[in-house]
Amino acid sequence: MRKLNYFRSFFLAATLAITSLGFTSCDDDNDGPTGAYAEEGVFVVNEGNFQTPNGSVSYYNTNTKEVQNNIFGRSNNNRPLGDVVQSMVIHGDRAFIVVNNSNKIEVVNAGTFASVGVVEGLALPRYFVALNNDKGYVTEYVNFGIGRVSVIDLNTYTVTKTIPVGKLPEQIALAGGKLYVTNSGDNTVSVINTATDAVETSITVADAPNSLAIDRNNVLWVLSSGNKSYDPYPEVDEANSTAASLTKINTSNNTVTGTITFPEVAASAGKLVMNGNRDKLYFIYNGGVHQLGITASTVNSSPLINRSFYGLGVDPETSYIYGGDDNGFDGDGTVYVYNPDGTQISTFKAGIAPNGFLFN
Amino acid sequence: MAAAQQDTTQHQLRTVQVFGKPAEVYAAGSRVVQVDSAYLSTYSSGTLAEALQARTPIYFKSYGASGTSTVAFRGTNASQTAVLWNGLNIAPATLGQSDFSTLPLSGIGEVAVQHGAAAATYGSGAIGGAVLLNSAKYKTARLSGDVKLEAGSFGRYFGSGSAGYSTKKFSFGVSAYGQLAKNDFKYKDLTRFGTPEVRQDNAQVEQHGFTKDLSWQISPQTQLAVHGWYTFSDRELQPAMGSAYADARQRDESLRLMAELQHQSRFGQTDIKLAYFNEYLHYTDLSNDSKSEVDTYQLQAEQTFTRGERWSLRGGLNMQHFVADNDGYAAQQDENRASLFALFRYNPVQPLQLSLNLRQALVEGFNPPPTPALGFNWKFFNSNQHQVSLKGNASGSYRVPTLNDRFWAGTGNPDLKPEQGWSYELGLRHVLVQGNTFLLETEATAYHMLVDDWIQWSPGNTGAWRPVNLQKVESKGIELSTTATSTLREVKLSSTAGYTYTSSEQVEVYEGNGDEGKQLMYVPRHKAILSAEANYRNWRLLGNLNYTGLRYTSNSETNNLDSFILLNLALSRKLQLGQHSLLLTLRSDNMTNAAYQTMAYRAMPPRGYTFSLRFIIP
Repeated sequence: MRKLNYFRSFFLAATLAITSLGFTSCDDDNDGPTGAYAEEGVFVVNEGNFQTPNGSVSYYNTNTKEVQNNIFGRSNNNRPLGDVVQSMVIHGDRAFIVVNNSNKIEVVNAGTFASVGVVEGLALPRYFVALNNDKGYVTEYVNFGIGRVSVIDLNTYTVTKTIPVGKLPEQIALAGGKLYVTNSGDNTVSVINTATDAVETSITVADAPNSLAIDRNNVLWVLSSGNKSYDPYPEVDEANSTAASLTKINTSNNTVTGTITFPEVAASAGKLVMNGNRDKLYFIYNGGVHQLGITASTVNSSPLINRSFYGLGVDPETSYIYGGDDNGFDGDGTVYVYNPDGTQISTFKAGIAPNGFLFN
Repeated sequence: MAAAQQDTTQHQLRTVQVFGKPAEVYAAGSRVVQVDSAYLSTYSSGTLAEALQARTPIYFKSYGASGTSTVAFRGTNASQTAVLWNGLNIAPATLGQSDFSTLPLSGIGEVAVQHGAAAATYGSGAIGGAVLLNSAKYKTARLSGDVKLEAGSFGRYFGSGSAGYSTKKFSFGVSAYGQLAKNDFKYKDLTRFGTPEVRQDNAQVEQHGFTKDLSWQISPQTQLAVHGWYTFSDRELQPAMGSAYADARQRDESLRLMAELQHQSRFGQTDIKLAYFNEYLHYTDLSNDSKSEVDTYQLQAEQTFTRGERWSLRGGLNMQHFVADNDGYAAQQDENRASLFALFRYNPVQPLQLSLNLRQALVEGFNPPPTPALGFNWKFFNSNQHQVSLKGNASGSYRVPTLNDRFWAGTGNPDLKPEQGWSYELGLRHVLVQGNTFLLETEATAYHMLVDDWIQWSPGNTGAWRPVNLQKVESKGIELSTTATSTLREVKLSSTAGYTYTSSEQVEVYEGNGDEGKQLMYVPRHKAILSAEANYRNWRLLGNLNYTGLRYTSNSETNNLDSFILLNLALSRKLQLGQHSLLLTLRSDNMTNAAYQTMAYRAMPPRGYTFSLRFIIP
């Protein structure tokens, strides 16, 4: 998009801390969706252009290989989804789509994508998670300073409580009745007790945690990008920078049990996701897609896929790897699909800036 | 007489006529169209963006009623149309493009549009075309002036005044204007369930400014002119429908001063222009506060030799010095640029005019190759009533990277190459004259253009936005226009119809996937305008119909804005009050109440009315 250059820089500023994904499709409920989008498939979250409500969701049917773009608009009288579609979560028969710069969460029927409600009046919401059918949580940047987690009543779609956390809260995950919040502007993970909806403790991790995942042993993995100091930009001043790292947290007592520090201090990392068996981690680091077993103690210097993506996902059944290319935000993005060994299988066109995937 | 004035091919090579307007003399084969003065005076409270959107094939992307307006001419982008004020490029070197919504019509004398590549004449950026602004001339003997007051829908108030004084040797004029527009119109919010009608907030605009023009005929051979132009604009930037309003505001201030000296001697005509421009931009929102200021010092010296009416040669030098302060830069940045040019015009036989222009720009580290332009005008049929001309040109063009492209902290790209364009066009022009009562001018032009190393900011593989030579774009199209003027007793009618077809697509993409072979975003394939003016005694009716075809909102042709039609009407009545006159005008913009957008989801005003009073001295 040919915006004015300085808009680009605002965009840059606004998204410096953005990393995406790690959809924790966390429900084992039986009230699953039915409808056109209830089959085996992949939802692609297309962020759209900053300051334009042209974010969208695409649906890729993994059996027929057919793509349907803009499924929200199709099911809702061509209504645009909103400005910067940040993330999406399915819980039960509902999908919750967090629309960052429209300050809302659109709620749709997960099978038909017909609108069932909207949570409005949020302040730069980022990531959502549902505790059950009645209560959910969303992180919000608020004003790029101290962020918060808002508690959402999933029957009335209203905010019932706000909980201040650290700076620039990003991804969240539930484990053992606790909500873990990555504060990407700090070096902490806030822990919220879902029974009291209050911050119980804060765990210190490496600088700038942005994404997290819980493995099969209920170990919480937190990926931190590290703080980068430039002299001059984009040359990283390594002496005053910190490396990206993975922090392992025991969720039964909220203590750090290990840290894997990445070798290249200058390189950032983000977009941590996990496979279906929850024994392999995938993330973007140093311009490539990396894979790491949960028993590993160091990061392989050569990537599994030697290119970076704007969005990353791993199919829990097939372990196929999905990467979203942003196409410079000028046109529709392309999704690349890879075998678990990193060889490319296919591509398909999605919407503008595919930033994440959700597997049905 | 009327025919002779309006037919540019009849312009003779008298140097007096080329003052400030080299286009018509040294650009044989190109199309230069003047925006008529009736329109400019009726819509003088508007902006250049509104005028050109309504009256020319140029498409403007307006970020709502209060936001910026950027240009797309012949399928090119906002940086690829040059804007010249009295012959000097005024685009701020930082951003490299003009926001046409901050350029008021008030106080401007003439507005003309040169279609197609003209970088050999105007320098960097004249790839898709050039917009030529000239200061008002105060020629009326002794005192003249006017006061205009205007009130319109959606909380818009405008006032302007001008005064001029002239003697045989001396003329002086000042003008000032001020405008406050709330833009609190209602629109349907397409992003909300049930598309409720809501009132536009956060789109208020306040603008004011002045012009000052002075000219002094020092001797029969020597003339000195001084021009000053100040514009101020403070606005709330209207968010897109459904987007959070982050309290975005922008203040733009521009001061432009220039002096020009013209001297005739036995060596021909010498022109020297000296200018100082200051451009200040301050953007704020909840999480940003960014200032940018650039001082431009410009010197242009030209020498014109003319022999008889057969040939004319103009050689010149343009030097620019920039001092830029920008929050995005590591430090204050200075830069010098220069270019040398030679413009040659030759008429081997009366009906044939040839022009050859050459320009060499000199920019540290970014030297573009020499830029030539070759054109011809051949009036191959000329009878009492009909004149038919064939015209054409082949032109190179270039654009050097902006200061932002180069100095934005860390992202400035030292490997950036200047943009390069090549364009060819061929046109036919027919003029039909029937006595003093009917004139019909028709023109058809086809062009083909390639723009290579097109600079665009892109996130690249690492996600860090920086400027790159992203693509090669092919643009081709057809421009048709016909203007009829007729006088029937007391009724004077004139009407212009125009249509343009524009195809503009990527033919090569140097980074990332791109979308080759698809129409570039926000370039309408079809745009048509129909304007009409009728004068009867003291009444005048001015109508404007504008059709803008579908535009894609990304380069993938998957989402688009629907076509729209806008109708604007203005009815004026002139009352004579002794020597003076009073002009009453009632105007309606968007009369059919079309819901339209020129930039995705930025609401534009519905039908509105404006009433204005203008008192004219003498």
